[in-house]
Amino acid sequence: MNRQTLLGLGFLSPALLAVVMFFLLPVVLTVVFAFTNMSTSTGILGGEYQISESDLRRLPAAGVREEAVEMLAGADYAVRADTLALFAAEFGDKRAQELEALHGGASFDDRRAMERALKDLRRDPIRSVRERKAAAELFRISILGQRFPTEAAFVEAITALGIPEADQAALTEAAYTGWTFTTQNFELLWELPATWRYALNSALYVVLTLAFNVGFGLFLALSTFYLPTRTAQTFRAIWFLPRILPPVLYVLMWQWLTWDQGFISAILRPFGIEPINWMRHTATHAWTFIVLINGCVGASLGMILFSSSLRAIPETQLFAAQVDGANRWQQVRFVLLPQMRWPILFITSYQTLSLLTSFEYILLATDGGPGRQTEVWALAAYHTALSNYGGNLEYGLGAAYALALVIIGILLSALYLRFFNFRDLVAKPRIEQ
Amino acid sequence: MRIELQNFTKRFGDTTVIEDMSLSVASGEMIALLGPSGCGKSTTLFAISGIHRIDGGTLHFGDRDVTRLPPQDRPVGVVFQNYALYPHMSVAENIGFPLRVQKLKPAEIKSRVGEMAELVQIGNLLKRKPQQLSGGQQQRVALARALVRKPDVLLLDEPLANLDAKLRLEMRSEIRRLQRETGITAILVTHDQIEAMSMCDRIALMKDGRIEQISTPAEMYERPASRYVAGFLGNPPISFVNADANGRLAFGDNALPLPSGIAAQGPVVIGLRPEHFGPQHQGPCVSGQVSFIEPQGREDLIDVTLPDGQRLRAIVPAGHDVALGQTVNWQVDLSRIHLFDAEGARL
Ligand SMILES: Nc1ncnc2c1ncn2[C@@H]1O[C@H](COP(=O)(O)OP(=O)(O)OP(=O)(O)O)[C@@H](O)[C@H]1O
Ligand SMILES: [Mg+2]
Repeated sequence: MNRQTLLGLGFLSPALLAVVMFFLLPVVLTVVFAFTNMSTSTGILGGEYQISESDLRRLPAAGVREEAVEMLAGADYAVRADTLALFAAEFGDKRAQELEALHGGASFDDRRAMERALKDLRRDPIRSVRERKAAAELFRISILGQRFPTEAAFVEAITALGIPEADQAALTEAAYTGWTFTTQNFELLWELPATWRYALNSALYVVLTLAFNVGFGLFLALSTFYLPTRTAQTFRAIWFLPRILPPVLYVLMWQWLTWDQGFISAILRPFGIEPINWMRHTATHAWTFIVLINGCVGASLGMILFSSSLRAIPETQLFAAQVDGANRWQQVRFVLLPQMRWPILFITSYQTLSLLTSFEYILLATDGGPGRQTEVWALAAYHTALSNYGGNLEYGLGAAYALALVIIGILLSALYLRFFNFRDLVAKPRIEQ
Repeated sequence: MRIELQNFTKRFGDTTVIEDMSLSVASGEMIALLGPSGCGKSTTLFAISGIHRIDGGTLHFGDRDVTRLPPQDRPVGVVFQNYALYPHMSVAENIGFPLRVQKLKPAEIKSRVGEMAELVQIGNLLKRKPQQLSGGQQQRVALARALVRKPDVLLLDEPLANLDAKLRLEMRSEIRRLQRETGITAILVTHDQIEAMSMCDRIALMKDGRIEQISTPAEMYERPASRYVAGFLGNPPISFVNADANGRLAFGDNALPLPSGIAAQGPVVIGLRPEHFGPQHQGPCVSGQVSFIEPQGREDLIDVTLPDGQRLRAIVPAGHDVALGQTVNWQVDLSRIHLFDAEGARL
């Protein structure tokens, strides 16, 4: 490595650092998360050990034998030396002694029975229901719902319950509330019909929006190209507005336009058309507006790029085309468009990639609705990982969604680079090096 | 095809670039629009081709009024100054483009493109892209593209401006050959007098959007209609001397007799071409001091400063023994001098 390469690397290092920080790191984290079952309930740090009432049903599937499950479920409350000691500490030795005399060694299936037992105290009865409840809780020996900070503590507790050694390992694993590494996210993605629906939605979204963006961008660029300069500039500036408007405001305007008391409904009412929510009435409505909302933003980028590349084409070429007998359509088709291959390709590939990962306008406009009919892949990832209706955010599954996107994105970029032969499109430098 | 441009006016916004200009070109004739930069040559050409709409006047091709016709419908071929080839098309596609937009069959396009390419001698370059061609080759492609539609009128806008001296010489005769072979009516825009004189049947000399004189090159050189025309043509340029006409032409200590048939009184301008002044001529003498000698090989250019400070230029065959600072008394070919009045009009 000579000095020049070192110097080059030195100059590159801020960029390299940025790439590592803002691209590689998120990708690596996504990959890692995608192979975990991280969610709100597991937390993102380590977990604890806990078996809850509702866990009991899934235990057999996790490899815990029925008898062990029964042990966990049964014998909830017991009057024993250790529980009596707890009771004595809170409600006094006298009561403890009386209870031991009455029910020493007894065990009860549920709290109700335990409370009844407590009512038997005569010498100094516990009158308040609330206190009786609290007292009953002290006799609880079940570990259901109890948290154990370490594995050792949990094992100790289940040993005390008499769970056979053979079931302890499986039970401990099932009791762990933290996240673990797993491939179940991908299995789930593969199996869920909804996944395919989202993939299809994404494809539909990208294809429709892209077609609109490129087509309309081209139309705007070409039509303003033939307008007088001042008019064209004003026109282009207007079309650029959606891009510089904050997305929330922009979509809010669309909402206002389309909701059942909005602009469209209002002007259609005199014609006898029932007011509906034009954006969310049916899937077709939703898709139409999603394409329009995204398209009006995306088309302006294409328009600007296409216009500037149009203006780079010498005027005399158009003059030549005119005297060669080409009408306007033929000028566009044979002279202008072929020379715009590169910007069109650029916009197509750039916007495919950005549309695949973008969901903010859909989120703001329909939030995937009606039903899940406009839920695209990226939005599904967002909903799964960061904004779940149920409240349990499944980071791991969300990351798996995102990872699929990352992989598709990288594959597509590679494909674009190969297929369109970018090197051929970029003119060779005239000055030889 | 005769071209008849009458009372042509062209404005860009508020500025009138060409006012009330008339020009007629005979069928099969090649005419040059000659003039300095910015005088409106390209504007005239663009008006004839239909690229610019004209603001006043009429244009006829033969008997047909084409004033309002769009360029697509006019039988013209244009070669642009920068050739305006389509960079994304091969040479063959460039030449074939005018036929392609007419939706001719590919086979016919191919054969006509081949024919055209042979005519301009680029048959071996058909597969190349314009960027891979030299200036001269691009120019031949542009010519072929302009001619492939078999237009009645060929318009050339400074077609040789971008070529080097040798190529320019070659293309000059090449274009003229093509024009003769096809018998097409052609208008050549140029600011190069040599180009105009060597290639064209007639020259229209323009100044500030007007035609100053229109005639054959020889006529224009021999009998310039104005001082402007006389000054524009000729290399090395003509020398002008202010003189006082009073039976004879007096300037400083020198005087020349008035050429026969010219009656002039008061201040006049004498135009004297370098090739009509020098020791090798017959006629009345003018004396002065040699102030500059520029050897040219076969002959030398010699500046003679007259006693009153005005300057004449002479072409003297090499092998003379004139030295700088020497006082000379050289002959003027009196029949070839031009006289202009104070406004510059020919007397
Ligand atoms: N599109 C235009 N808008 C305004 N003025 C123009 C336009 N085109 C030409 N002009 C003006 O018209 C005049 C004539 O221009 P034109 O191009 O015909 O000159 P030219 O004789 O071809 O010169 P050159 O030899 O430099 O090409 C110039 O003064 C120029 O500034
Ligand atoms: Mg010009």
